[in-house]
Amino acid sequence: MLTLDLLINGLIIGVFYALMAIGLSLIFGILKVVNFAHGEFYMVGAYAYTLSALMLGVSPWLALPLAFVVGLVVGVVVERLLMRPLYSGYTSWGSIRDEYAVIVTFALSIFLINVVDKVVGPFAYRGPPLVDVSRIAIGPILISGHRLIAAVVAIAVIVVVALAIRYSYWGRQIQAVSQNRLGASLAGIDTAKASAIVFALAGGLAAVSGALLANIFNPTPDVGVFPAIKSYVIVVLGGMGSVPGSIVASLVLGVLESFGGVYISYQYRDTFGLLILILFLLFRPQGLFGEKAREV
Amino acid sequence: MAGGIGTGDRLRAEFVASLVILLLVAVLPAFVTNAYWQGVVVVSMYFALLAVAWNILAGYTGQFSLAPAAFGMIGAYTTGLLSYYYGTGAAIGVPAAIIVSGGIGLALGRIVLRLRGPYLALTTLSFAEIMRLVISNSIDFTRGDLGLNVLGIFEERLAYYYLILAVLFAVQAGLYYLLRARAGLYLRAIRDDEIAAASRGVKIVWWKTFAFTLSAAICGLAGALYGHFAQFVSPELGLLSQTGIVISMVVIGGLGTLVGPVGGALLVYVLSEFLRDVGNAQLVVFAFLVIVFARFFRQGLWGLLLAAVGFWRARPVAPSPAAK
Amino acid sequence: MPCLVIDRVSKSFGGVKALDAASFSLDAGELVGLIGPNGSGKTTLINILSGHLAADSGSVALDDEPISGLRPEVLARRGVLRMFQLTRAFPRMSALDNLLVAGCALGLPQHEAHARALGLIEDLRLTRIMHLDAAQLSGGQLKLLEFGSCFMVPPRIALLDEPFAAVHPTLKEIMAGFIRRRHAAGQTFLLVSHDMPVIVELCPRTVCMNAGRVIADEATRAVLADPVVIEAYLGEAAI
Repeated sequence: MLTLDLLINGLIIGVFYALMAIGLSLIFGILKVVNFAHGEFYMVGAYAYTLSALMLGVSPWLALPLAFVVGLVVGVVVERLLMRPLYSGYTSWGSIRDEYAVIVTFALSIFLINVVDKVVGPFAYRGPPLVDVSRIAIGPILISGHRLIAAVVAIAVIVVVALAIRYSYWGRQIQAVSQNRLGASLAGIDTAKASAIVFALAGGLAAVSGALLANIFNPTPDVGVFPAIKSYVIVVLGGMGSVPGSIVASLVLGVLESFGGVYISYQYRDTFGLLILILFLLFRPQGLFGEKAREV
Repeated sequence: MAGGIGTGDRLRAEFVASLVILLLVAVLPAFVTNAYWQGVVVVSMYFALLAVAWNILAGYTGQFSLAPAAFGMIGAYTTGLLSYYYGTGAAIGVPAAIIVSGGIGLALGRIVLRLRGPYLALTTLSFAEIMRLVISNSIDFTRGDLGLNVLGIFEERLAYYYLILAVLFAVQAGLYYLLRARAGLYLRAIRDDEIAAASRGVKIVWWKTFAFTLSAAICGLAGALYGHFAQFVSPELGLLSQTGIVISMVVIGGLGTLVGPVGGALLVYVLSEFLRDVGNAQLVVFAFLVIVFARFFRQGLWGLLLAAVGFWRARPVAPSPAAK
Repeated sequence: MPCLVIDRVSKSFGGVKALDAASFSLDAGELVGLIGPNGSGKTTLINILSGHLAADSGSVALDDEPISGLRPEVLARRGVLRMFQLTRAFPRMSALDNLLVAGCALGLPQHEAHARALGLIEDLRLTRIMHLDAAQLSGGQLKLLEFGSCFMVPPRIALLDEPFAAVHPTLKEIMAGFIRRRHAAGQTFLLVSHDMPVIVELCPRTVCMNAGRVIADEATRAVLADPVVIEAYLGEAAI
């Protein structure tokens, strides 16, 4: 059953996209900037998972949380070192803070890709699978064991994160800061800490995504570039700053690419997302679920 | 900048500084006769043109596009395809490249008018990637990643050297006169506060589109010239990392100044050649420098230079006996 | 001869009705004050008049020509110039250049713009800092600069949105004097302010808004004594 197969595969890949997109969306919500180095959080996670499993002999089930922690740390470090000028009042970038973020994160992306290229080498490793079952049958569908388990793990993580953002103490702080930074700080919320938490979480989630997909997309220094572009599309499609929007849009994109790759063009399947991105940015920048921002 | 230096003086100082740099480049071959290094300077001037073009958009109009390398690639392929299919040379290819790149830039510029900051960056990034993928995948038409051979112009490497130097000089001079006039006022006003500029009567749509078109046209020109120099073009010209290099040159040199892109490009590219011997670490070093400069030295090297001069000028002088 | 006619303009943001069929008009050469408690819709109205917002319904006409929905730069060239409540200037351009932008954009040849800018800088006592970047100016100086930008080319109507807010009395005097002189020469003003003494001093006529509606439109002293106006501000009838 080709259609069902494409659908399931599309949804599964969408779930992995969602892990990355949620973090990016949160970052945009709280700092109003796009993190152009997001793909490199993914890449770092993929390498952390793969190298710790292959070189240190750690079990993949331990390597996974390890990758998450590495992502957390990288996220915090980036936020502390580089994101301060975005909210710390007077800076020499003044009125063009958005552009500072573009430059700095874009440069960071290139920096990380090339550092890893130098330190670890450009050769692709193969991330170990979580389970060594190559084919599981679910009804009429055949699916690889790793892909299935990874998807389950991803869904679990997404659910936990979504609930945490909604209901936990820090989740609500983050929502408050995203809606009104000044107001939140006046209400006593530590906005700097909220930003750090968001970046850490985004880093961790992207890293987990990279780790889970390391078996499918072998870690190379620039493995994060395409997933990053996909997440930009998703975040705009779902509405910048909207977590539920990102989840829905991720699934939509995954399915679209899956079907488009077979029925329209395999060669150009990466361009569908880009075209969607441009169309939305032009005609509906608030995405499917976002809010229109007030200018004056 | 502290009082006493009017904007006109500032611009003139930057222009003169860039002329000094170009003059140094002009006499360089007298001291550096190695053809390889001369070629390095030629390529750095290609990047300088891209940097100048990007600076018009980002430094002077506030539109941070991620497409300069893509427009360079478009210009290169315009002349490359004309050369490949019709055997035309630079005399037709270069003007065609300017027109095609400028035309596409005009269209894209109109499309992204209402976008700012990350939205603009994402749109131009998508455009750049789509262009690269299209060229790369249209193997029947463009030979894809195999690239195209392009007819050269001259026999002598130095002829290319002085041609591209002359073009760079012309572009810089043209830009200087443009910025000294009303255009300079309007572009900078749009950069600083688009809403205020509109409320003062500046024709936002016109000037943003103009800047975008001009920038794309210069990128196309640069790409075409590079194509004829290297006698080869490939989709790698349009990689995002190439745009990254251009951005790093401008940020390190001094964003929003007339001398930053030129100085930054030459410095960064020549240095990168030295770094090539030290384990190919160019991109690491420059990305790192961009981060440091963006974070701490927004004014770039030019700004640091001015600060040093100002510091030196303001140093305390011993009081003269007559003051007592 | 009405210069500006505002006819039943309404504007909502989500569920909030910022303007509710607001209507009034200005004759050429009038200096009219616009007052009202916070949230009464004054700035929203100014935004609509200057083209930064589009009204949901109603119309605005300048010299009998409809101007609803035109872009800010088009309106500026038609002579509708405004000051912003949160001062907007060009931070990385000198004070002089800030004025030159306004002048050149509205059609002045460069040398004339230069001469006028210097004149305005004199008038506004900004000579000492005219070459400094706007980012280096104090809040009061920035306000004066933005104020001056509105008069490089005498506008058909000047919309001043709280020009005296948080301004030093000396600077206030400079602006007030300037407004008085220009008004005497025939300049039309709509002056939004909370500063009642200045409104009384400068404006023969005042419009008061509350909750998006115009609740009073008469001679200034009458407006300030109007029980409806007092109730809008204080929430209860005056004793």
